[in-house]
Amino acid sequence: MKGVVFVKFNEFIEELWGEEFWDELLDEAKLPSEGAYTTVVTYDDQELFILIGLVADKQNISLKDVLFTFGKWVFKEFYNIAPAGAHDFKDVFEFLYAVQDFIHVDVKKINPDALVPEFKFLSATDNKLSFHYLSPRKLCFFCEGILHGLAVHMGQEIKVSQPECEHEGGQRCVFEVEKI
Amino acid sequence: MKKTIEPQTSELILTEIKTVEELQKRIAVLERKAAREKKARNMAEKQLERYSLEIYQINQSLKSALAFSTKKQCELEYLGKASMGDASELPLNQMIGNMVELTCEYCAADYGFYLVTEDGVPVEGTPDNAWSKELGWQGQSELQNLVNANLPLSQADVLESWFVSALSDDDAQHFGWVLYMNFALSDSKIGWLAFLSKKASFDEGIFPILATARDDLNSGIRRRLTDIRILKRNVQLQDSVNNLESAKRQLIQSEKMASLGQLAAGVAHEINNPVAFVRSNMEVFKGYIHDYKSLLDNIKSELATHNKLDMTFFTALCEKVDLTYIDEDSTALLTSNIEGLDRVRDIVGNLKNFSNAGDAKLTQMSLSKCVDAALRITGNVYKYEHQVDNQLTDLCPVVLGDLGQLQQVFVNLFINAAYAMQGGGKLSIWHTEDDQRVIVHVKDTGSGMDEETISQLFIPFFTTKPVGVGTGLGLSVSYVILEAHNVQVTVDSEIGFGTTFNLSFPVSL
Repeated sequence: MKGVVFVKFNEFIEELWGEEFWDELLDEAKLPSEGAYTTVVTYDDQELFILIGLVADKQNISLKDVLFTFGKWVFKEFYNIAPAGAHDFKDVFEFLYAVQDFIHVDVKKINPDALVPEFKFLSATDNKLSFHYLSPRKLCFFCEGILHGLAVHMGQEIKVSQPECEHEGGQRCVFEVEKI
Repeated sequence: MKKTIEPQTSELILTEIKTVEELQKRIAVLERKAAREKKARNMAEKQLERYSLEIYQINQSLKSALAFSTKKQCELEYLGKASMGDASELPLNQMIGNMVELTCEYCAADYGFYLVTEDGVPVEGTPDNAWSKELGWQGQSELQNLVNANLPLSQADVLESWFVSALSDDDAQHFGWVLYMNFALSDSKIGWLAFLSKKASFDEGIFPILATARDDLNSGIRRRLTDIRILKRNVQLQDSVNNLESAKRQLIQSEKMASLGQLAAGVAHEINNPVAFVRSNMEVFKGYIHDYKSLLDNIKSELATHNKLDMTFFTALCEKVDLTYIDEDSTALLTSNIEGLDRVRDIVGNLKNFSNAGDAKLTQMSLSKCVDAALRITGNVYKYEHQVDNQLTDLCPVVLGDLGQLQQVFVNLFINAAYAMQGGGKLSIWHTEDDQRVIVHVKDTGSGMDEETISQLFIPFFTTKPVGVGTGLGLSVSYVILEAHNVQVTVDSEIGFGTTFNLSFPVSL
């Protein structure tokens, strides 16, 4: 996983629970990288999962909540460092359509080895969009958080549901996003 | 002085100790954070170095790929243009000149030369045989001498490839090398291409490209030399065709004259008859003139004696020579003579038309007039034992044709028909029309022909007539004439009943 995710997770934890908590997490995690994260390096996905697991334990919250909250928080961070063209969209659905055709393409230009999720759009109306989320990392809760971060940024209210989820015994992860 | 610690002070100290511990803990956290930041920075810097190295290597690779592709592009451009020139319709010298210009630029030479040798000696050719990018084609005698001195011009054979020779400093005029090749031209001549360069070294890597261009050039030269040979052969063939055309015209004319020969006796008879009665009439006229002279002499004598002419005496003189009869008969004789001479004139005129070689130009003509003329020529053949039923009138459509030649065809058919009807018979001529074609039918009631004879009808020298009667060329020549008129011929024949020739002419619109 690209180092930018770890750097942002570090900032997220420190913002919520302080530098000491982050230090404590690293001390317990005994990670190969020792927590020395930089955006230009790629790290083992497992390090993030260990850190998230520790946060859940120590703060007594679910993994889903950690991932959701981090996703919602991190959207604005990713948005700020996204290619300029990504800033042209004023609607949640428009942005989602552009994600893999435009934003992920630009991400790949800068990081050819970046593993980005794929969206397969299943159905769409003016107010409702359904798509299949495909990612070997299976970070659908993180994605849900990002969707909410996106809606906050766009000033729109949305309701997100997952009629199918691999973590709930489904064959795949499907999102339904509805504008309220 | 001993300082005592009050309870209040001890609480304060405890608080301070706690604060110190927290601070130490805080410092430890920050130190670890700083260590992580430092380590992360080092990792980032190393990563950036790796990226820089990768970018440098990619850059180098791109530069070499660009150089390679530029070189390939030059090679392709050179070969493409050379090949286009070779495959074009440019004349030989222009194609070779084109090759000199392209090769000179491709191998970065300063001058390119084209020269021709015969038996190892340069042939005096065009003076402007040196090309440079700056000056174009010019005469460069000094440089030409330098090239000649460094090329194996005395060699009569074609070299197998390109060669390059380094030039010695003494007489090289600052030129470093000369590149050359040769190729076979026609008539044991050899063409040479040579290129002079001031560069010290020659890139031998371009030899394969030059070899390909050389193959293309040789192919282009061979094609042009073959074209020249084909052109010469075409001229010869055209001459042969012209000779054959001329021979064909002569054959047609000869056959026509042969037909005329067969008709000569009859024609002579036709002419002889009027000539005989004209002559006989003239004899009578001679007597009449004598009678007139006698009458005139008697009148003169009477006038000399009596100085007058008595009407009774004059009447007696007239009656003596039967002047009334002479007057009447003279008019009849003159009319008869004029008619006789008209007949001779018509016969001679038709013969003249018939024997005229003509220029074989097709003009609009009447088939009925053509058949009439042919019947007049062959009239004597049908005079005594045959009937002729010519139903062709001016209603028969006009066709494009050569009157003399078609007359020859009909004369031939009529002679053959008469020959087939020895002892009498009927010749019928009529026409039918069918989809822009007019078909003239010539039917005789003669002996008819079997299938084998019909199949050989149009073969030259085939004849059923005895030796000395026919040439065997009549129908074959007629067939040639009819083909030239786009006329289709069919023959219907039955042994013992006769033959019908059907000539189908395209109607002239």
